[in-house]
Amino acid sequence: MKPRIEILDKLKGHIFKTLSTYYKSLNDCNYVDVRLGISEFKSATSENGQSKDVTDDYDASFGIRVIAGEMSSWGFYGQSLGKNDLKVKRITDLIINGINIAYERAVANAKKKQEFKKSADSLTEVKLAKIKVCQDTVPADFEIDPRKVSLQKVLKTSMDATRQMKELDPSVRYTAAGIKTGITRELFCSSEGANIAQSLPLTQGIVYVSAQNGESSPEVCYDYVGELRGWEIIEGKNCYNLSFLDFALERTRETIELSGAEFLKTSKDEVVVVTDPHFNTLLVHEIVGHPTESDRILKMETAYAGRSWLFKNMDENQIGEQIASPLVNAFSDPTTMGYGYYKYGAEGTPGKRIDLIKNGVLKTFMNGRENAAILGYEPNGSMRATESSMVPIVRMTNTAFGSGNKSPKSIIKEVKDGYYIVSHRIPSISESRENFRISAKKVYKIENGKLVKLYRGGGIMANSKEFLMSIDAVGNDFEMYPIPTCGKGQPMQVMRVGNGGPTLRGRARLAGVPN
Amino acid sequence: MIKTEDLRTAVNGALKQIKKQKDVIDAEVFASWNDLITVRLNYTSDFPCNGVHEPKSIQSYGLGILAVFKKGNRIETGFGSVTNDLTEEGVLETLAKAKRNRVYDPGFKSLPESTGKPVLANYHDKRVMEISEKESVDLGWKALDGTLKTLRDGGHKKTIIIGGDVTILRERMAIKTTKGIGDFDETTSLTANITAMIENKNVKGTGWSMDTHLASFKPEAAGREAAESAMRTIGGRKIRSGKHNVIFGNQPLTDIVSNVLIPSLVLSSVHASNTPFLGKLGQGIASSNLNIYDDGSIEGEIGSKKITCEGMPTGRTDLITNGTLTGFLANNYYAQKFRNNLYCPMPRNGFRYSTNGRDYKNKAGIFPTNVMIEGNKESTRNHLLKQVSNGVYIGRIWYTYAINGLAMGDFTSTIIADSFLIKDGKIASPLKPNTIRINTNIKQILNNIIGITKKKRSTLVWGSREVVVAPEIAVSDVQLDNVTGFLG
Repeated sequence: MKPRIEILDKLKGHIFKTLSTYYKSLNDCNYVDVRLGISEFKSATSENGQSKDVTDDYDASFGIRVIAGEMSSWGFYGQSLGKNDLKVKRITDLIINGINIAYERAVANAKKKQEFKKSADSLTEVKLAKIKVCQDTVPADFEIDPRKVSLQKVLKTSMDATRQMKELDPSVRYTAAGIKTGITRELFCSSEGANIAQSLPLTQGIVYVSAQNGESSPEVCYDYVGELRGWEIIEGKNCYNLSFLDFALERTRETIELSGAEFLKTSKDEVVVVTDPHFNTLLVHEIVGHPTESDRILKMETAYAGRSWLFKNMDENQIGEQIASPLVNAFSDPTTMGYGYYKYGAEGTPGKRIDLIKNGVLKTFMNGRENAAILGYEPNGSMRATESSMVPIVRMTNTAFGSGNKSPKSIIKEVKDGYYIVSHRIPSISESRENFRISAKKVYKIENGKLVKLYRGGGIMANSKEFLMSIDAVGNDFEMYPIPTCGKGQPMQVMRVGNGGPTLRGRARLAGVPN
Repeated sequence: MIKTEDLRTAVNGALKQIKKQKDVIDAEVFASWNDLITVRLNYTSDFPCNGVHEPKSIQSYGLGILAVFKKGNRIETGFGSVTNDLTEEGVLETLAKAKRNRVYDPGFKSLPESTGKPVLANYHDKRVMEISEKESVDLGWKALDGTLKTLRDGGHKKTIIIGGDVTILRERMAIKTTKGIGDFDETTSLTANITAMIENKNVKGTGWSMDTHLASFKPEAAGREAAESAMRTIGGRKIRSGKHNVIFGNQPLTDIVSNVLIPSLVLSSVHASNTPFLGKLGQGIASSNLNIYDDGSIEGEIGSKKITCEGMPTGRTDLITNGTLTGFLANNYYAQKFRNNLYCPMPRNGFRYSTNGRDYKNKAGIFPTNVMIEGNKESTRNHLLKQVSNGVYIGRIWYTYAINGLAMGDFTSTIIADSFLIKDGKIASPLKPNTIRINTNIKQILNNIIGITKKKRSTLVWGSREVVVAPEIAVSDVQLDNVTGFLG
């Protein structure tokens, strides 16, 4: 028998007690938290209508953060767990061992920090901004329990999709699909008294299709559908309002059509571009979401994911400044449904909606407790980790452009000469997110308010602020889409986030095949 | 910590158990223990900071079984794994999972058979296997010290940012199969990747160091290099958009190879019709001066392993020879699928990597090891500068992606540090960071190579596991586009 997530209900009180009493026995130990997570899941992959892989299993792990030492410093330890570890005596031993290792690291780190402080006065003790300490149990919310869906059903759904995709047209060279459905429950206990068990279901389907028209390069499409809900997502209750099969077939038809389209050429100058909600999902992710993460603000990601174009230093930054057209609003909200939904962040902080951009003015950043203390903000619960064994970092939640009041049809109709940029594909962003090039699945030429020609291999590039300032129309067609593969941190953590927005109209250069 | 002997005993015992199962016709048992220690740096002179932000680790061990079942006239395969359990009970649980997870995959032919002997033996460092918490934390502070001292000696104390990490990876594995494979492997690697910025000068420098042994690992040297590189690029200038002759240094070449070229040269990409080199085997795809191969058996390189995670000895796989496409990287699954009378791929790249090493929870995918880039006619950097005459030396790029998908080969990236203008065959003024975007195509880059240096450097980029032993290369007519700098 595989362990069920309900086992945490039995272990919760015990882990809380172990942590609360053990940390007091350690000298100069100021803070400890433990996250312990279990996920039960089923998954299946197929290609060209044939089965490839199925899994019906569980994953478990825990991670421990410690702040200790004379000059308070961090130490962290994480490890995977097996079935036999989820017993009271065994998990107690493992957690105490984990606290000891994290504590030893923190103390060694604090000692060195003290030595270096003499010549580096910005070195400081770790301080966490105060939060409401919570005890809570958050149940998973779904219509069809992922655990009650048979493995055969998951596999059959995947196989049916790739078979029908492949049969659509002889130009389809290869199809693949993967479906995963399951529930994760994570326990958060801290030496401050937090004791939270939070459950989240997740159901996700991925499709991949490659189609080739004659000698031309194959056109490849990779897309996904998903929500933090049950199997109903695969049956059609998702942001596309399509069953997984229909979603897969729609992507395939688009790919077939695109494989015969002309390649877009890079434009010399800016042109009018109308970007659809799916494209703006990646746009907001890259030029608003990432640069409003407070670890980037504090330069902590300089060696990896980069800094932020919004903040040079405490005196020279864009807080309170007009960084976008007054029509533009952007927010981050873990309390609304989407891939970034949760009630509590990975530090036990209650998640809440924050306005990042209001009427074009930059308002605030996503943060965790340490960054909030440094910047003097209230913690807004934006820390998450991909697995319990990994250290939490600042993450987008459901981060999106706000809705406007114009119909997308009228936004296009008003364009005499321009381009309609449809569905995001791949981003490449400057180090501080001040410039972007993002490719689209489809680009249409607009002439006199009508879509007249389809292009492949295109997208747009622009300086972030110039693009945001150029926006002169915001649609009323808001959508939130899943982004399952946001990479950040070292070691790299791949996280699911929700992003979205309505149709926008602005100015950018077309980025097509190299001239 | 789990000993290699424990893993070997577990896989031997597991195979005995499996042989008692009537419906199992073949099996591959893999057990591993991994520990990834990361000491992350974050020093900011103008914000409160920790210097070494968080010494941390992720540890795991367990066992995985890939079993082949006979069902009527066809065979089915299933995979299962258990964590933290190498007992007989754990083996039976894993086998039950493999049975539950079995499917008919027409692409599967058979498990790999033993071929040849491994080149490497005892190439790991026992001291790294036993490194203490204090020692690993100290390595991070050494890297920081090297950077800070160099910047201070250069007169820079304010608007300093130092980031990056020291990473220590310790891996142990054992494998036993019904096809006669039975072996084990132990690896250790240490890397320091450091970035230094003087923000009010708008300059960034990078430095790195990597080793398999603690005694020769020098994180402070990586810090010094990052600081020196940042100081060298003060006073950068912009350039105009257009086609330029360029030299790609070790890091940008590695970034392009790891993110665009190598993903296009694996058999799984061919299978998915997702490579610009579809149908190009045996044809010219690059300058005839260029040779690229993967070799996981080079002692001292951190991408090296004694055996793959399928138990095959590591070795050399030629990818591009004299500019001609000669091969693709393969694991056993794809090697067998693509084997024919004209092409016989060797499965030298079947690894089960995840975040913290050789993961018993995964089946073997295809991963590069040490990617070697060489020229038939190699020269010096000075010679390359003369060839380029007027152009750009690119020292570090960022966010390199195949922007329209791998199949088209288009890629884009921005130049963020360590770069200079080339004037009259000499390095001239620094290039202002974050002001140039590269917009080009991998096929164009490969064909436009005009020079390759003899001097090479082992290089690693963020998010990749493989090492690229990279020369510097000169390339003609690369499209560079002007973009805004930081905060306009």
